[in-house]
Amino acid sequence: MSLLLQSIVLGLLLGGLYALLAAGLTLYFGVMRVVMIAHSAFLILAAYLAWYFNTETGLDPLLSLVITVPLFFLVGVGMQRLLISRLRPATLTMMSVLLTFAIALVIEGLLGYIWSGSQRRIRLPYGGSDIEILGANIAVVKLIAFGLAAASLVALFLLLTKTRFGQALRATIQHPEAAELLGINTDRVAGYGFGLGLATAAIGGTALSLDATIYPSLHWHWIGPLMAIIVVGGLGSIPGAAIAAMVLGLSQSLLQIELGTTWAQTCFYLALFLTLMVRPQGFFGGRLAQRF
Amino acid sequence: MKFPSSLRLSALALVSSLALTGCIDSGGGESDAEDDDTIRIGISLPLTGDYAEPGKGIQRGYEAWAAWTNENGGLLGKQVELEILDDQSSAERVAQDYERLINQDGVDLIVGPFSTRLVIPAAQVAQDYGFVFIEPAGAAPEVFEQGFENLFYAAPAVADDHYNHLADYIEQMPANERPKTVAVASMDDPFAMGTAYGLRDKLDEMGIRIVVDEVYPPNTTNFDSIAAKIADSNADMVIGGTQYQDAVNLILALQQLDYQPKMAAFSTAPTEPEFEKAIGGKTEGILAPTGYTPQAEYPSNQEFVEFYTDTYGEAPSEDQANAWTTGQVLAAAVEAADCAESALEDPECHQTMIDWLHENEVETVVGPLSWDEAGRPQSAHMVQQWIDGEIRIVLPEEQAEADLIADKPAW
Repeated sequence: MSLLLQSIVLGLLLGGLYALLAAGLTLYFGVMRVVMIAHSAFLILAAYLAWYFNTETGLDPLLSLVITVPLFFLVGVGMQRLLISRLRPATLTMMSVLLTFAIALVIEGLLGYIWSGSQRRIRLPYGGSDIEILGANIAVVKLIAFGLAAASLVALFLLLTKTRFGQALRATIQHPEAAELLGINTDRVAGYGFGLGLATAAIGGTALSLDATIYPSLHWHWIGPLMAIIVVGGLGSIPGAAIAAMVLGLSQSLLQIELGTTWAQTCFYLALFLTLMVRPQGFFGGRLAQRF
Repeated sequence: MKFPSSLRLSALALVSSLALTGCIDSGGGESDAEDDDTIRIGISLPLTGDYAEPGKGIQRGYEAWAAWTNENGGLLGKQVELEILDDQSSAERVAQDYERLINQDGVDLIVGPFSTRLVIPAAQVAQDYGFVFIEPAGAAPEVFEQGFENLFYAAPAVADDHYNHLADYIEQMPANERPKTVAVASMDDPFAMGTAYGLRDKLDEMGIRIVVDEVYPPNTTNFDSIAAKIADSNADMVIGGTQYQDAVNLILALQQLDYQPKMAAFSTAPTEPEFEKAIGGKTEGILAPTGYTPQAEYPSNQEFVEFYTDTYGEAPSEDQANAWTTGQVLAAAVEAADCAESALEDPECHQTMIDWLHENEVETVVGPLSWDEAGRPQSAHMVQQWIDGEIRIVLPEEQAEADLIADKPAW
């Protein structure tokens, strides 16, 4: 087995999950200029729910999506209507950081209160299975997680490019005032956009739960890289977020081999610094973001 | 002055969240009125967080010892009462907990938490207030290099020496059967590194090549790359300097890559009750050091095993035994000094206990224990191996319940 090949495969599989989560995160900013710090907390909440349903009822995590995706969508719509929409436009971005940071802490506190701070892991009958592709061993659960993330990302992309709702959402992202003039209810679209963002967290959390150990504060480990990804990809650009996620996921995996676990996440912050110095709008934040 | 509604909303959410995450002290924990018929012992344990699994094991051991003590006349004729706080596996929190137990709750005695990372800050607080500090799980070299004069580790050996019997066994193997290469992965934790590096360095001296030597931060949950590195090296032997969940995650990642070492040794985790289920039953051949076996014929051990089994419906494991041992050592010191007052009220009492422990040997469930001036115990750990679905003592030979399997079956 080639270590390099193994690392590339692992990096791409991880990148797929990053891509889905970053796509959700960039939606909030694109639609509403909201920096959603709690995105990764909802990710961990979804992973906990998948673990809980599996532990209590034996429900396969993939089937728990039937519950968590609509639930998170509704929570997202409600959150936008009840909290985000009440923030003043002039200070929206700054206040959204504070508000969603607080929501992240609330979720973490609730998780710790309900299930304690102990680490949890789902035990699946197919958890120990692996397949060999070109000499690289790949765990079946990792492939399923990647497949779920990739399929969701494609579905999200098609939703945004091939439907009237997608057109309305993109119009809201690109020019809210013009969208209003064309009769689009931007408040409603923003609510659905927020719901969609949280739905990606539900799917991502479920994918994560297949092969990860979770604990309440794990969301802090995710939010930094995800923020870096959307800045590097270009705020508001879903393809940009996906491409940056794949590249940085791969970089992280290769760095882990070269420098060890402690330094692996530096690639995200290094990329963030370089992007801000060279191209502050992100590498795909210009025309690509407008075209999707 | 009128604040914007958005600011009020954000502030409200932030305050609510801080309250929920425990950042705002609820002001609980006021001590009850002093009870002359009770000896109150304060303990902070990692009941949540990284060390929750062994932390809960230690808690059970302490509680069993207290129950047994109370059923058998108590300490100095008084009943023992435990005050247990959860430090959430946090070094900052554990120090605050002991401060609170000593100053606010007014406990008479304290005993230690689980893990070196938490023992050191806790021992510092104990030393500051002059308390004798007996602990069940701070085994790393750093613990004994801090200059603590009040600390006593209630187990047979320090971390570096946990694998001594295994190192001796490997050294005596025929050259063609001995592992040629070894991969090491250790949590960045003094105890975990102490155990792994103690064995690594001895193997290195024998000429066995160290082909992977990885350190990962506590709270690491993704072991894919470390496992890939180990699998790629195809090392004959893998050593895990582990606590609990990290060992489970690392083993699962290694199994996913179908890496099959001839020897695999992990500290702490394999002796935990949950371990077998956590790694899907694929335990065959896994080695681990231990300071305790329920079968040991030390005078008080059978009594401990019977009492614990009757209470909890299962035999005790190492964590429970270490906590019970801590209780035994504390009881011996209290009875020798004939006092059990808080060091804030009677510093002489604690100094007498400290002096007595430095000069005497205590009979415990892990054997007779004595300590050097830094609190290092002077005995040795055994080595266990999972054989036919059970974990059994394989080294040293005089205590072995089974022969060591030197060529690990596939997992």
